[in-house]
Amino acid sequence: MTETKTDMATAITTTEDPTPFGWLTTADHKRVGRLYIVSAIIMLLVGVLIDVIVRIDLTSGTDFVVLDGDSFGQLFALSRETLVLLFLIPIFLGFSMYLVPLQIGAGNLAFPRAAAASYWVWLVSAGVLFGSYIGNGGPYGGNSDLVDLHMLAVGGLVIGLLIGAVVIGATAMTMRSPGLYMDTTPPYSWSALVTASMLVVSLPVLLGQLVILYIDHRYGRVFLGGNFGIWERIDWLYRAPQLFLYSVPVLGIASEIVLASAKRRVFEPLAMYFSIGLLGLFGFGAWANFAITNEGSDIIDGAEGVVLVAMYGGALLAIAGLLALVGFALIQTLMQNRKVPEITTSLLASLGAGKFLLTGALCGFIGAGVDWLEIGDRGNLGNAQLRMTTWITGQQSVMIYGAGLLGVLAAVHWWAPKIWGRQLNELLGKLNFLVIAGGAFLASVGPFLSGLLTDQPDFVYEDPSMTSIYSNLVDDSGAEGLSALGLAGTLIVLSGVALLLLNMFVSITLKKGIEATDDPWSGQSPEWLLSSPPAMGQLAELQDLSSGTPLLDIAEAEEAASNG
Amino acid sequence: MADNTPTLVSGEPQRPRAQFVATGFAIAAAAMMVAGALGMYMARRHASGIHPGSEWLNGLKVPNPQFDYALLTLYTSMVTAHWALWASRRRDTAHAWTAIATTIVLGLGFVNMVIYSLNRMELEIGSGEYPNLAFATTGLSLALVVVGLIYLGLMGLRSVGGSVGQHGSTPLGSAVFFWDFVAVAWTVTWYAVYVVK
Repeated sequence: MTETKTDMATAITTTEDPTPFGWLTTADHKRVGRLYIVSAIIMLLVGVLIDVIVRIDLTSGTDFVVLDGDSFGQLFALSRETLVLLFLIPIFLGFSMYLVPLQIGAGNLAFPRAAAASYWVWLVSAGVLFGSYIGNGGPYGGNSDLVDLHMLAVGGLVIGLLIGAVVIGATAMTMRSPGLYMDTTPPYSWSALVTASMLVVSLPVLLGQLVILYIDHRYGRVFLGGNFGIWERIDWLYRAPQLFLYSVPVLGIASEIVLASAKRRVFEPLAMYFSIGLLGLFGFGAWANFAITNEGSDIIDGAEGVVLVAMYGGALLAIAGLLALVGFALIQTLMQNRKVPEITTSLLASLGAGKFLLTGALCGFIGAGVDWLEIGDRGNLGNAQLRMTTWITGQQSVMIYGAGLLGVLAAVHWWAPKIWGRQLNELLGKLNFLVIAGGAFLASVGPFLSGLLTDQPDFVYEDPSMTSIYSNLVDDSGAEGLSALGLAGTLIVLSGVALLLLNMFVSITLKKGIEATDDPWSGQSPEWLLSSPPAMGQLAELQDLSSGTPLLDIAEAEEAASNG
Repeated sequence: MADNTPTLVSGEPQRPRAQFVATGFAIAAAAMMVAGALGMYMARRHASGIHPGSEWLNGLKVPNPQFDYALLTLYTSMVTAHWALWASRRRDTAHAWTAIATTIVLGLGFVNMVIYSLNRMELEIGSGEYPNLAFATTGLSLALVVVGLIYLGLMGLRSVGGSVGQHGSTPLGSAVFFWDFVAVAWTVTWYAVYVVK
């Protein structure tokens, strides 16, 4: 018992090197996870800031306010890329790299050096991406070489994220403690496996297309139509249904937090795992891809429309099913007054994220259904289909600012003690929840209504400056006011992100937060058995895990013993 | 309380076939990458109009015998790769090394033949839609072949270093698994781009 056996995974590092060189060369899953999480939150701040600039321009029906046509297209693209490729996916990878080994009783990730490589490839590519835009590259950019560089940068980002996804998938599948089966793993680890698997089969589709786009753009521009032809062929990555895939971890986070707060287990675990898996399947959006299904046509009709409506319907059912399952546990606890759940920031944010997820799926269902049925002659008689209007911007806001950001808020507050050894300030956290939820609501409701009532276009691919021209036509319809409402919401979201960073800085960096105990939330999953944060080498101590809820097992056994 | 506390003991982390599973994920990713590129190719092909007879095929000369020989070479290398794995599992190192070396030589021969065939076609990149699409899709599949060769070479070296036997051959088995996929990916690309065009 005194000796500790080591293997390839745990032998890589046994002590933390606090110097920058130590961080640069680390292969410890906890450090790589922290690097991903903090970098992604900083990128989020940048992404929301860019979105604010884009939305300022949408408030004018007569002309651009701060940008010109090309710059608008560039920043529009950059805001989407930042929010998805630099925030949503990497922050999920960060949490997964930190938590999955702890939750499944593994000593480290399956390929720790590959995990570190994933982060550095991603970070360097992010720098190249920003560099390409600064030099007037990117979609709609004026510098041809830097437009090419932008494609290389996006390729680099995708490769980095893919390596991370493969590492997490392989870890979750092969590194579980011998007694821990897939149907007993904690919900977050299951959601991480589902997301990683679906990322592995969807992100490379973009990679394959980028190769073609790069070659055509660099050599002759035979069919691409210059810089204007790029964005419409790659923007499926930033729209629903693909956006649902990035929300799968939110379901895992919400399940963990709500069940732990209710101090119960879900009454039908398989249904919970099934719902999470189902949302992952419906989140596979590579098929709904202009470059493959829709070259030369803007309107989804026929079989494609049916599939899209069915997918949104399925996603809606999956989300509703899971929320009903975990919500039932919470209601049961409240009704039986067994132990009144503590209203934490994490619980509030989890429930809020669930509500936004449901809204996003519902709006997708309504939008696709209306377009398919062509209600109100949409698609005919000159009316834009909903999927070509700011209805889509509203859906993106719901999924990214609502579900995604609230999910992150819940996860950061819940796992901060385990990751950094400090609890975040709860009062600031609850204020943060209100700010983000309110901001996300306004940021989405403005574009939703504008798309529905005024046909304000989401984006005009061929020439972004058309956005202002089109807005001019609908000047009197209220599009400007509704865009301003969306802008106000985005500004509030921006302040919410700043508040989150401030809370992290004060509580963690300045060490003003409460020093965490091993299990400050009475959690259920195995990571709460370890110290906060787990010491180097301690991870190998969960090798005999046979349950995904060991702490709940203990509590129930104690309760049973005291009752009789 | 003490009886209910989960045992916290150290032990060997379990990573059965982690490399094999990771290779499976990598294959899924690579397959979708090829599918994405070919999907775009086919969409453009569909949009190009009546086929055959489409404009983009004008003057196209595909050297079928060379491509066929290349394909046969690739299939032969699949056989030798499995020979290497079979021998490695039986700790027959002499045969394993011979088979790995043969596979790599055949793989290099395949790459050489494909490049030769492309040169014979006299396709000029940037000269039209088909040349650009053909270069992109073929280049992608050829890059996968090169990755497969490097993977085989590295895992072959591990085999040379003593990683043999039923369990020890898992890394080489993973590389052979990837090599099989590479052959399938090339076949699909070749059929779509050079047979159906």
